[in-house]
Amino acid sequence: MIVKKIGESMITPLGFTVEENFAAVMAGRSELRRYESLWNLPFPCFVSLIPDEKLEAESARELSAEVLVSLQTKFEKIAMLSAVKAVKQSGIDPASERVVFILSSTKGNVGLLEDENSDLERVTPAHTARKVANFFGNPNMPITVSNACISGLCAQIEAYRCLKSGQYDTAVVVGADVLSPFIVAGFQSLKALSDEQCRPFSANRRGLNLGEAAAAVVYTLADESADGWRMLAGAVRNDANHISGPSRTGEGSYRALMSVLAESGLSADDLACLNVHGTSTMYNDEMESIAITRAGLAAVPVNAMKGYFGHTLGAAGVLETLLSMRAVEAGEVPATRGFDELGVSMPVLVSSEAVDTQKKAFVKLLSGFGGCNAAAAFVKV
Amino acid sequence: METMVTHRVKLTPECLEVDGQRVAKAVAGESFLTKLYRMYNMEYPKFFKMDVLCKVGFVASEVLLASEGVERFVPRADRAVILFNRNSSLNADRTFQKTIADPADFYPSPSVFVYTLPNIVTGEIAIRNKYHGESSFILLPEKSQEAMEQAIERAFLDSETTSVLTGWVEAMSETEYEAELDLKLET
Amino acid sequence: MELKDELKSKMIEALNLEEMTPADIDDNAPLFGDAGLGLDSIDVLELIVLLERNYGIKISDPKQGKEIFASVSTMADFVAANRTK
Repeated sequence: MIVKKIGESMITPLGFTVEENFAAVMAGRSELRRYESLWNLPFPCFVSLIPDEKLEAESARELSAEVLVSLQTKFEKIAMLSAVKAVKQSGIDPASERVVFILSSTKGNVGLLEDENSDLERVTPAHTARKVANFFGNPNMPITVSNACISGLCAQIEAYRCLKSGQYDTAVVVGADVLSPFIVAGFQSLKALSDEQCRPFSANRRGLNLGEAAAAVVYTLADESADGWRMLAGAVRNDANHISGPSRTGEGSYRALMSVLAESGLSADDLACLNVHGTSTMYNDEMESIAITRAGLAAVPVNAMKGYFGHTLGAAGVLETLLSMRAVEAGEVPATRGFDELGVSMPVLVSSEAVDTQKKAFVKLLSGFGGCNAAAAFVKV
Repeated sequence: METMVTHRVKLTPECLEVDGQRVAKAVAGESFLTKLYRMYNMEYPKFFKMDVLCKVGFVASEVLLASEGVERFVPRADRAVILFNRNSSLNADRTFQKTIADPADFYPSPSVFVYTLPNIVTGEIAIRNKYHGESSFILLPEKSQEAMEQAIERAFLDSETTSVLTGWVEAMSETEYEAELDLKLET
Repeated sequence: MELKDELKSKMIEALNLEEMTPADIDDNAPLFGDAGLGLDSIDVLELIVLLERNYGIKISDPKQGKEIFASVSTMADFVAANRTK
C-alpha cells in the first residue's frame, strides 16, 4: 500500500484556497509588510498577517454558529477552518475510528498569556487538537507534533507512519501558527528578524520575516496502482550540536536527506527541486547549502518560500509541501522570492526566476531549534 | 516487531525511582533537581541554564542512561529521543511573557525564549549524548500509555532506529513536575 | 562596587553561572571558548540585554559583541565609555 494525498487546504494572507496561493506565488506576490510598531512593540518588523475581517467572513461562511462560539482565538479559527476545508475536499468520514487527526504547531494559543486571567488549559496546542478532532466526532486521541520549525514536516512523517504501521487508514494533518507579541519579541531578542524583505540565500540577507498561516493535508492508504501525489519517505535527525544554532557541517539535515534518498529510492536526477527551509538567517541558509552539497544534491534546483509568506512556523512544513506539489505538477520550480546574489559558501542552485521542470518528484527540507532537522520525499504518479 | 523496556526512571519533586526502586528522596528546602545533578556527578554546567522542563528531562535521562551501563557520549544515530507531555513549554512561556509584559521594562530575554519550545528538552538530551537519530516532542491532550506506545511503535519504522529513550515529561513549576522515562530496545 | 565586580555579579545572575562567584572570574580571561567561561551565542544575546537594561547601551549587531565581550575588562571599558545610565 502507498500513502496518497486526497485532500488539502490553505489559509494565508495570500488567499484562502490552494489555487489562490499558488497563483500568487507564481505571480511573485506577497503580503509581507513593514510595521513600525505592530501591537505597540518598540521596534519595526516585517511580517505577513492574515486579515481578521476576511477570516471572520470566511469562518462565518464555512463554520456553524455553534462551532464559531467555541473558537475564541485566531489560532483556533484557522486550525479548524483549514481542517474543515481539507476534510470536505477529501470526502472521508472524519468520525471513523480509522482516521487520526494530527496537529502541527509551535506556539498555538500562546498569545492568551497576555491576559493574566486566561484559561491556561487552552494555551497548549493539544487542547486545540482535541477541539478539532471532537468537532468531527473523531474517537481517537489527536496527536500534536511540536518540534519547532520542522513540526509541519514531522506531522506529515507521523501521518505516513500512522498509515504504514496499520494503526490508521487515513490521517488529517493540520499545520497552523499565528503571530503575537510573544513570538515577534522572542525572535527579535534572538536578533533573528529582518525589518525588510527577507532574502533567502542572498549575500545581503539580514534575517527572517515571520508570517501567519494554516495548511492542511489528508493522506490515505491506497493501492500501488493509484495515481496522484504520494509521500515516499520521511526522516527526522538531530545535529547534536546546539539548541539554537545550526550545525556548521549541516549534520542533521545531511543525515535526514541521506535517509530519505535511501528510503525513497530517489536520486538527484529524479528531483524537480529541493524545497528548503531558507529562513534567510545567516546561519540557516549557510548550513543548508553545506548539507545539500554533502548529500550530493548540488545539481538539483533549490527553492525557498519564506519570501512569499515569511516563516510560518508550525504551518511551514505543510504549506510549503503543498505548494511544491502544485508547482511540480504544473512543471515549474517557483522563484525564490527575495533572492538576488548567492551568499552561501556552497554553490547551490537558487534562482530568482521560476524554472521549468519535467520531473515529478521533490524533497522538502526543514530545520529548527533544538537541533532538529526533517526531510521528506514526494512524487506525482 | 518486538520491543522491550530495559530501564525505567520515575522522577517527581518527592523522589527518584530507578527500575521501581527508590534511590533518592527530596528533603524540604533544597532543590531536588540540583541535588540529583550533584549526586550523579553530571558535570554539565549548561544544566543551570536550562528551564525546569529541560532540567527534569535532563536529570531523568542522565539517571536512566547511567543505569544502562554502556559507554556514553559516543556519537550514534540509532537511538531516538521521543518525549510527551500535555502543556508543552507552558512554564517557560509564562516566564518569557513576564519579560515583555511591562512596556516600561520591556527586555525580552533570549535565554528564556529559547526554552519556549518543548522540543528543546529532546534537543538537550541529543546534544548531551551525541545522538544524531530522531528527536521529537509530541503533545497529547492527556497522559495516555496507549497513545505513547503507538507513537513508539511508529518511531521504530525508521530503519536506523534500534532504541528509543521515551516517556512523559511535564513541568508546571520548580515544585510541580513529573518524568517517567523508559529505554526501549528492539528485540 | 567597582564596575568590573558589578558586571561579574550581574553576569553570574543573568547567565545562571551557578557554582561561580565574582572571585572565580579573572578580569582578563576569555569569556568565550573552552579556555574561558565557555559562554555561547545565546549568552552574547543575554549580555546585550544586560547592557541595555542596566547601562542604557544599545548594540544592534551581535557581531560587535565579540570584541566587547572578549573579557570582563573589555566589557567594563566599553560600558564606562558608552553608558547612558
